[in-house]
Parts: sequence; C-alpha cells; structure tokens
Amino acid sequence: MSAQIFGVGELIRQVNAALAGAFSGVWVRGELSGVKIAGSGHRYFQIKDAEGTLSCAMWAARADRLRFKLTDGLAVLLYGSLEVYPQRGSLQLIVAEVRPEGIGELQLAFEQLKAKLEGEGLFARERKRPMPALPLRVGVVTSPSGAAIRDVLKVLSRWERLAVLLAPVRVQGRGAEGEIAQALGRLGRAGLVDVILLVRGGGSLEDLWAFNEEMVARAIAASPVPVISGVGHEVDVSIADFVADIRAATPTQAAELVVAQLERQERHVAEQFLHLTTALQRRLERLRLRLEVLAGARGLSRVPARLRALDERLTRLAALAPLLRRVVTVRHRRLDGLVSRLYRWPVRFGAPRRRELVTARLSVAAERLRSLVQRRALLLAGAERTLAALSPVAVLQRGYSITWNEGCETPLRSPSETSAGSRLRTRLAGGEIRSLVLGGGGVQGSLFDAPDDRCGEEEAQG
Amino acid sequence: MTEGRKVAKETFEEALAQLEEVVAKLEDENVGLEEAIKLFERGVKLARRCREQLSAVERRVEQLLAEAPEGGEPQTAPFVPEEG
Repeated sequence: MSAQIFGVGELIRQVNAALAGAFSGVWVRGELSGVKIAGSGHRYFQIKDAEGTLSCAMWAARADRLRFKLTDGLAVLLYGSLEVYPQRGSLQLIVAEVRPEGIGELQLAFEQLKAKLEGEGLFARERKRPMPALPLRVGVVTSPSGAAIRDVLKVLSRWERLAVLLAPVRVQGRGAEGEIAQALGRLGRAGLVDVILLVRGGGSLEDLWAFNEEMVARAIAASPVPVISGVGHEVDVSIADFVADIRAATPTQAAELVVAQLERQERHVAEQFLHLTTALQRRLERLRLRLEVLAGARGLSRVPARLRALDERLTRLAALAPLLRRVVTVRHRRLDGLVSRLYRWPVRFGAPRRRELVTARLSVAAERLRSLVQRRALLLAGAERTLAALSPVAVLQRGYSITWNEGCETPLRSPSETSAGSRLRTRLAGGEIRSLVLGGGGVQGSLFDAPDDRCGEEEAQG
Repeated sequence: MTEGRKVAKETFEEALAQLEEVVAKLEDENVGLEEAIKLFERGVKLARRCREQLSAVERRVEQLLAEAPEGGEPQTAPFVPEEG
C-alpha cells in the first residue's frame, strides 16, 4: 500500500470534513478570555478550563443578537462547530450560541448594563431632577390597552384639572424599546408636558425586558422633562427605574406622586393664606390696644383726623371680608371634595385629618377676621367720638404740648422729623415758646405707632 | 401656547414665593399698619393667583398620534381607555 500524499489545503479540507461529522454541534463548558471585537463586528476569543484552551470565533450577525456582552472571565456554555482555520492551521470553534452559566442570560445582561450605565454616572443622584412645582400636564408612555394606563388615569382623575397626554407604545416584544425611546423623545422635545410617567403593569422579566434596554435608559437620561418610572410590581426593578428622575414602585404610585405634589402645593397656598389672615388679625388686635390707650390719654386734634383715615382703611378692609368669604367658600367646596375622596384612600395616606384641620382653621380664621374687622369699625367710631369730645385745649391744660418745625404746619411726630440746629415752635396751654434743637433724631417710630415712653422723650426736646 | 403655559408655571412658583415673603413681612411687628393692610391685600391677590395656577389647565385625556410631519406640531386626539 502506498502512502497517500495530500496538498496542505486538501488535508485540512479532509480534516474539516471529518470534524464536521464528529464535532459539528458540540457544547463546551469553560471560561472566556481574550475577548476582542474586530472591525467587522465578529468576536474572537478563547474558551478555557484548567486543562485546555480553544480559539473561538463568533460572527457578527449572531453575536449582535446576544443580550449580554461577552467579557473575559465569564463562565459560559458554548455551542458550535469545530473546524481548522486553513490559513493558520489552527483549530477553532465557530460559535453559534452562548449561554451564561450559573445566571440567567437576562439577569446577566441586566447586571452588565447596570454596571455600564452606573459607570457613566447615569444613576447619579445629582442627575435626578425634582418633581416639577406644578405637574399639571402629565405625559404617559405606556400601552394604550394595558392595565397601567387605566390605573394611572384613575389616580390622576383625583385632581380636577389635569391634562394627560398618552404616547401609546408597545411595552413588550421586539422593537418595543425603540417605540418607548422614541415616545420619550417626542413628549419631552415638544414641550408638551411637565412630567412623564413611564409605566407598565406587572409581568415576567422577559415581559418587562424593554425597560432594561440601553436605548430606553438613554432616552430617559436625555429627556428634558423629568421622568417618573413605575414598572411592574413593587418587587420588580428595571434599568429604567435606576435612570428615572423619580422611581415609583407601580404605575398607580407614579400617578399618586403627581397628585400628591399638586395637593401639597394647594395645601401650601392654603397655609400661607391662613398665616396671612392671622398676621393681620394680630396686627389689628395690637391696634385696638393702642387705640384704647390713645383714646384715654390723648385729645390732640390731629389724632381724630388720623383715626378717620384709619377708619376709612378699615372700612375698605371690611369690604374685603366678603371676598375672603368667597375665597374660603370656594376652597371649602374644593377641600370638601378632596376630603371625601381622601376618605376612600387607604389609611397609609393619612391626610384627611390634616386636610380637615386646614379647612376648619381657614374658615374659622376668615370668620374671625370678618367679625374682628366689624368690631374694629364700631370701636373706631366710638373712639373717634370720645376723642372729638376732648378739647385740644383741655389736653394742653393737662401739660401736653404740640411742637412744629418753624414755618411748618404739620406737628412733629418723631425726633427724626427735625434735626440739630432747627428752630421749633411749641404750643403750650399758656402760649407759645420758640426753641433751638441741640440734638436727638435717630429714634424711629411715631407718636401714633408707639404711644409709650418715647412720647416723653420727644416732648422733652420741644 | 406652549410658551404661555411655561410663563404661567413660573408665575405659580413666583407668586408662592412672593406670598411667603408677604406673610413674613406681615408677621414682622415693625411694619406700619397702612403697609400691613397693603401687604394683606397683596397677599390675598397672590394667594388667588396661586390657586388659579393650580387649575390652570383644561381637564383632558389625549393621545399623541403618529409622528408629525417634519417640523410640524405634534397631533393629538382624545383618548378613552378600553374597559378591562
């Protein structure tokens, strides 16, 4: 028998034919190393274990369909065919499929993308935008036929006036991620909404997969409008949740955050309004005390005039009372509605008591203000009569005096109205004296505003 | 229209901030009575403006229609969810 002589290429072809018979569809277990992506997109790497190393190639078309990335050290099962690469005569596995070992393929993809985006700082707290002050125009990116949109609309309807704009998308299946990313872009770019809810009801990891796609993560990060995510049930965590400005556990909760913000703002305004009325009320109370002091101690002719002016202002204030009442009534109606709705809320929202409290305090305050203003008006009228009855001369007889800057008609009320070197004219009961100011000034406050110890000081200068 | 809404939104935060400022001033004992009454009237107006802003949009539920023509305004239509 004569030995058969092969050309090199021919021999390799024969070997490959033999390999194709015996090893065309083998599974091999090992760890990846030396992973490279060629310009063509093909992946080249080795798989090895303690006893051996095998070169591998995976063509771009297949490799691009992998959800996770091939990385050094990854424990995998490879499926493929063995062949000798003729140009180098080396044995290699042409890989058709890669399965991560000890971890699901989706889980692996999730972890890889999470690590990557985290590394880019996409989850950083500083990137997160707060809930807008007034999220009245709410964009919703979800399926038009899912449970999520119904849940969201139900919650959002708690706020009387709110504009919802749905960007309908498929939330699962191939291509869903593209639709979601595009919808986020459209809503945000056009300035149509104040906030975007990216929501989907519960499902398997596979069902929720679109929310773990890089494309969606990047669209959230790029959105000019804050994004609230609410994907799946409470236990589900998606990449979208990490990138979103605000993470809600469910679609319902995402919508609740919006309504809660509006209610918080409404409460804030109501509370400020309450402070406003109580502050004025306190002020009027102090005024009343001063008027009483004045009415007892003073009969200077200018005081009734000033009181008349005040009386006019208070009359105007009294005219405000109906407006206040209207304001309060409108609030009342609104709050009543809210309170009754809140009663139907689960206990954990705990707001009804507080809300009732605010409502009650508000209406009590407005009512008190109104009666206070009316009482004040009566009191002023009485005070004025008393003061008018007191002759200025009689007051001067008691030792008081009136001082003017020389040549001025208006009596001095404060040291600051004159200055060192000015000439003064003082009217006493028995006649007038003229004097020169040596010093003083700088003490603020008028007779009227502070009818206490400062009066003596002022008159001592006269 | 979009621009107008944006202005309105800023007005809420501004009005609220001004209202807080007015309240702080009014709570200051040193403010004169006339000033106090002016502050109060201003506060009432600001509170009213805030409340108006809280319901500044029409209640509606719409959906975005397919991509608008290049540079065109996005089209919307009313949306009613299916029962389920």
